[in-house]
Amino acid sequence: MSSTPPPAPASAAVAISGLRKSFRVAGQTIEAVSGIDLTVAPGEIFGLLGPNGAGKTTTLRILTTLLPADGGSAHVAGADVLAEPAVVRRRIGYVSQLGGADKAATGRENLLLTGRLYGLSAADATRRCDQLAQVFDLGQLLTRSVRTFSGGQRRRLEVALGIMHRPRVLFLDEPTTGLDPQNRANLWDQLRGLRAAGTTICLTTHYLDEADQLCDRVAIVDRGRVVALGTPDQLKRRYSADTITVTPDVTASALPALARELADATSAEASVTGNGAIRLTVTDPTPAMAAVFGVLAGRRVNVLAASVGQPSLDDVFLRETGRSLRDAGGPDSGRATGGAAAQEVAA
Amino acid sequence: MTFAVQTGLFFRRKLLETLRQPVWIITGLTTPALYLALFAPLLRSLDGGPAFPPGQVLDVFVPGVLVLVAFGAGMGAGWPVIWELDSGVLERLRVTPASRLALLLGTVLRDIVMFAVPGAVVTAIAVGFGFHLHWAGLPLLFLLLALLTAACSATSSALGLILKQIGGLAAVVTGVQLPLTLLAGILLPLSLGPVWLRVLGHLNPMFYAVQAARSLAAGSVATGAVALGFLVMGALAALALWWGTRAYQQAMA
Repeated sequence: MSSTPPPAPASAAVAISGLRKSFRVAGQTIEAVSGIDLTVAPGEIFGLLGPNGAGKTTTLRILTTLLPADGGSAHVAGADVLAEPAVVRRRIGYVSQLGGADKAATGRENLLLTGRLYGLSAADATRRCDQLAQVFDLGQLLTRSVRTFSGGQRRRLEVALGIMHRPRVLFLDEPTTGLDPQNRANLWDQLRGLRAAGTTICLTTHYLDEADQLCDRVAIVDRGRVVALGTPDQLKRRYSADTITVTPDVTASALPALARELADATSAEASVTGNGAIRLTVTDPTPAMAAVFGVLAGRRVNVLAASVGQPSLDDVFLRETGRSLRDAGGPDSGRATGGAAAQEVAA
Repeated sequence: MTFAVQTGLFFRRKLLETLRQPVWIITGLTTPALYLALFAPLLRSLDGGPAFPPGQVLDVFVPGVLVLVAFGAGMGAGWPVIWELDSGVLERLRVTPASRLALLLGTVLRDIVMFAVPGAVVTAIAVGFGFHLHWAGLPLLFLLLALLTAACSATSSALGLILKQIGGLAAVVTGVQLPLTLLAGILLPLSLGPVWLRVLGHLNPMFYAVQAARSLAAGSVATGAVALGFLVMGALAALALWWGTRAYQQAMA
């Protein structure tokens, strides 16, 4: 990121410049956020993608007035986070990782209290509560104690709590962590619906597919810095390449020579995978594919399988940090990673 | 106006939370009743002795028990605060424009109810055992002890917010509970003790609450002890509310 960011337009939903925050932990100073510059445009879904400990949550906590920054400036919904926290609080919603629904109370009590705290009248709060119950499919749950909710039900309530007062900017800290695929997909749809209604959404995630599919723009964060910023497609195109995987009908011993020949023909890097395929990393897949088939046809080699793999945001992270997002402390780091990049995009 | 509404909303929330936990209501009533049933009989033999004018053992003892009820009702406030910290409830509330003092007062007012209701029940029971009611002092007695409850409740909340851990809070609360109650002359008047004990007692703010409570229970409203009691409890409550509000305002990393 450039050290002198362009002046943030007054209309930006979120504008951060040179943001810094460090903590003293066990006698050591840990710089959680070390100079982040970002601008989030109104009406976009913006994602902070990074491993655990990258500084995503700290950044969000500064933006939501929970934590004072050590340096830099942050404006949210047209107000200065440090100078006018009260104004910022009225204009934003925040759904923390923990969620923070009151388990001792019912869903309705949670919603009504939140609405009233934001200054809605009792009647308005009730109307809004019923409206959100419909949007988030909470109807029958409203009279039940939150303690009895499932994880997905509680998450829906917590997002509803975050938007009770129709905030201009909604912050969500790892909103889908712990949700099953169906609940994740539902929540994504609901967030897209909010964006369509004009809400700016700023979320953190360590899921590549979430950043890729849900977010309009993504900032990849590592060790308190933004290492890459752009739309998911831009990032993938800028930082990585497509891959071609072909499985030729040849003996395993013939594979290395064939791989070298294909690499020469496409001026790309080639490698032999464990299951008898050749993998090529190419910049433009269409002419490369033609070249590959040209070589194979010339040698009269049959093709058992061929596919083009799209680059993933993990490739971007790998390029910028030298580590895979999976190995950088994320909760998924223990999962098997065979063909990880292709899987992520397909997931 | 907004502040009053918010305080009311938080008070209602806390009260509902308590009413849904009948265990607290039951122990809130049984503990003072047990003092009356199991400890007061021991004092009977002291009737007419030093510090106990004839026939007035309960008149000395009951105000002390009420102070204990007020102390206990307030000092429990910190535990739910830690739970609310851990479950993210406080973080969510702190992002709303809600007043931090209103947030604190919701709990304080609930705790005052949790003192006043068992306190009234205990007083009524004690009358049956021979406690002499003096209507002139009774409302002021409850007001004074409401201030003590407020001070304890706000202090306990502040401690919970600062210590952030049940273990730490439990150590502090149980650590101060015994010296504070012993040095206040709650169960037996300090006038029975040696000079050094009485001097130590004067350093304990709760001592003044107990002295004022005994005076008010006896119907003596316009005494120096009552004035001093209100002064000390008023200042203590104000200080604790300021401290508790500050703790709510502080960043919680």
